[in-house]
Amino acid sequence: MSRPPPPRWIFLLQLASVAMIWVFVLSISTWIVHLIRLSRALHDVPSASVAISIVAIPVFLTGAGVLTYVFVGLRRGGGEPGEGGAGQETEP
Amino acid sequence: MTRWGMVIDLDRCTGCGACMAACHQENNLAAVGPGETERSRAFHWLRLLPEVEVARAGWFGSEHGAASDVIVSYLPQPCFHCDDPPCVRVCPVHATYLSDEGIVAQIYARCIGCRYCMAACPYNAKVFNWYEPEQVDERKANPDVSLRSRGVVEKCTFCHHRILLAREEARAGGRELRDGDVTPACAESCPAQAIVFGDLDDPGSRVSQLARSPRAFRVYEDLGTEPKVYYLTEKG
Amino acid sequence: MTAGTEARPSSAPAHDLEDVELLRSIEEHGVGFRVASGLLLLVILAGWVLFGRQLLYGLGVTGLNQPVAWGFYIVNFVFFIGISHAGTLISAILRLAQAEWRRPITRMAEVITVIVLAIGGFHPVLDLGRPERALNIFTSGRLQSPLLWDVSSISAYFMASTVYLYIPMIPDIALLRDRGTRPRWLYHFLAWGWRGTPRQRTVLDRAVGIMMILVIPIAVSVHTVISYIFAMTLQPGWHSTIFGPYFVIGAIFSGIAALLMVMIVMRKVFHLERYLKHVHFDHLSKLLLVMSLLWFYFTFSEYLTAFFGNEPSEMRVFYYKFSGPYALFYWGMVACNFVIPVLILSFRRTRRIPGIMIASIAVVVGMWLERLNIVVPSLANPRLPYPTGFYVPSLVEWGMFVGGIASFMLGFVIFARFFPLISVWEIREGRAESVAHTTERIEGYLPDPRPVESSAASGEA
Repeated sequence: MSRPPPPRWIFLLQLASVAMIWVFVLSISTWIVHLIRLSRALHDVPSASVAISIVAIPVFLTGAGVLTYVFVGLRRGGGEPGEGGAGQETEP
Repeated sequence: MTRWGMVIDLDRCTGCGACMAACHQENNLAAVGPGETERSRAFHWLRLLPEVEVARAGWFGSEHGAASDVIVSYLPQPCFHCDDPPCVRVCPVHATYLSDEGIVAQIYARCIGCRYCMAACPYNAKVFNWYEPEQVDERKANPDVSLRSRGVVEKCTFCHHRILLAREEARAGGRELRDGDVTPACAESCPAQAIVFGDLDDPGSRVSQLARSPRAFRVYEDLGTEPKVYYLTEKG
Repeated sequence: MTAGTEARPSSAPAHDLEDVELLRSIEEHGVGFRVASGLLLLVILAGWVLFGRQLLYGLGVTGLNQPVAWGFYIVNFVFFIGISHAGTLISAILRLAQAEWRRPITRMAEVITVIVLAIGGFHPVLDLGRPERALNIFTSGRLQSPLLWDVSSISAYFMASTVYLYIPMIPDIALLRDRGTRPRWLYHFLAWGWRGTPRQRTVLDRAVGIMMILVIPIAVSVHTVISYIFAMTLQPGWHSTIFGPYFVIGAIFSGIAALLMVMIVMRKVFHLERYLKHVHFDHLSKLLLVMSLLWFYFTFSEYLTAFFGNEPSEMRVFYYKFSGPYALFYWGMVACNFVIPVLILSFRRTRRIPGIMIASIAVVVGMWLERLNIVVPSLANPRLPYPTGFYVPSLVEWGMFVGGIASFMLGFVIFARFFPLISVWEIREGRAESVAHTTERIEGYLPDPRPVESSAASGEA
């Protein structure tokens, strides 16, 4: 292949972007937990709202999980020459 | 537990509007002016709602002309301080809440101005500061009531500051709050003494006795909001 | 256009060069992009300048008042988020159903979703009296408020649809990276090391499979929760149990119409006639027809129920729409959402691109009118004897409305500049594998061959 290997900073940027998703998802989950605790302290929330909010958290975590799975899976299943880090796999 | 409520005797009410004026003065309500009122942004915490009845022909000797055919009565409407307030249910930031004593209170500094509470109130009790309110001259403003900024929602507070002051006085005098210690501005100013205020949970208070009168009703009580302002129907 | 170094292990070798024209808009972008984005930016900027008045003086510069405390901003909030259902329906449900005709459509549908979610999700902030306090939602939020449920469900949908847009884009981005398209760093960054190996393909397929199932209930929940903003109050005209499903159907309806409009325009501008064929429009417009009938059924149920009950507060709102100040908007909505689409789309003669465009525009306008008919009349008819309300939107609100539409178009223009509007690898996959798969699948539906008699059976060469 005549294509030069991409610089390492690209990989770091990719890693940073995946990390950002986790920051986002964990912040939202923390916020929802905070809301649940606040509502229990104030004793005025119908339990349905709490139940629905509890369901929302796994949804966010799944989304971030899928993205991470793709990121890790693509690196494991491919592995470009010259890019440091994860497995040096040979192409089939 | 104290539960503040109000009874308004419609038979005594003459529709003079003194209660509205007193409320404006007491609570530092901004004057929005005729222009804004034309745009349907009239700004009151207590409103006189007109009920117009058109008499049928032959009723009250109506052969004489239109004037005797129309009967207008007034319903002074403050915030009803519901015990199950729809406005509190929908506020996303806890800027309006039901206090322990039954007052639907507000935190102006927290309100984000989404106006959901205004959309949810079945009685349209809340008003909004569409522009920066023209502040009352500082020398004439009531120092006990905080001034609101633009972009926040506000409404009748049952003159909550008067409740606090009365409680302070009672504590200083080493006694409990008695019935009649607390009078909101509207009740105080009414020349016909049509508005009575007090603790609904105190069986001896005038307000709870009147609330149990056979003439007592609440507005749209089938909605389940449990309003704490009772009206006494006109007699005859 | 150099076509030499682009043999990819994952694509069908013989037809590599065929789909390269899909990348033409990216690699040979010209003045058109700059002119379009420049004009759109101007419009958006004008909207923001007008909005500056609202930031300076307050919401008083709008046409809002008491009792009509909600207007254009909320109408457009619901409207834009409604259109986001385009992506989910087409992309996720058709993928799930293994409907092969979805291939050239999915990318555009998913892009629409992400863009309108961003625009629509921002609208409530425009509507706030004190926007600088918006973060109070996070510090002192109340779980029982439907507005708060909205914040979390729209965030979930935005995250899920962005992930669901991005993951299937990876092979196409890798294609652009391998062709050395500029800006090179962007495609290297986004391609995540895709090389098309079988292991990577498995990862991708699995991830897309999970997301397409996850995205459907999230999308349904989003518009249901938005309807709850209205349905959870006690106001006449709002407090109706049908609102959840009604809004979802309406969203899918407006989403398909918006998607058709986008497809027709993009097909013209980027010369995609070979990819977006009549059959695609035919299928999608039949779906639009079905949604129109469904919409009519829900609307009919809703209003007949109100009318039959004859409750005074409800009837005031009813007549305000039916024969009162909003009669024009109400019957306009019925004409745009039902009469026009059914007339045009029921007959093959009119179900062609010009007719479909007219029907789609009508539906988008009609659905916007529906949001208006939901928000304003209930607020304008208070239970207590206040004077009936009115609402005349101001220039600021019009400016933000037009700006919102321009933002949508700008989002699309920018996307088309950098990424292919049609999923290249899915088209290639379709060519290479789908014909065989589909034949196999259909053969599976047909009756099995009769079992052979045991005496005449095995052992014979």
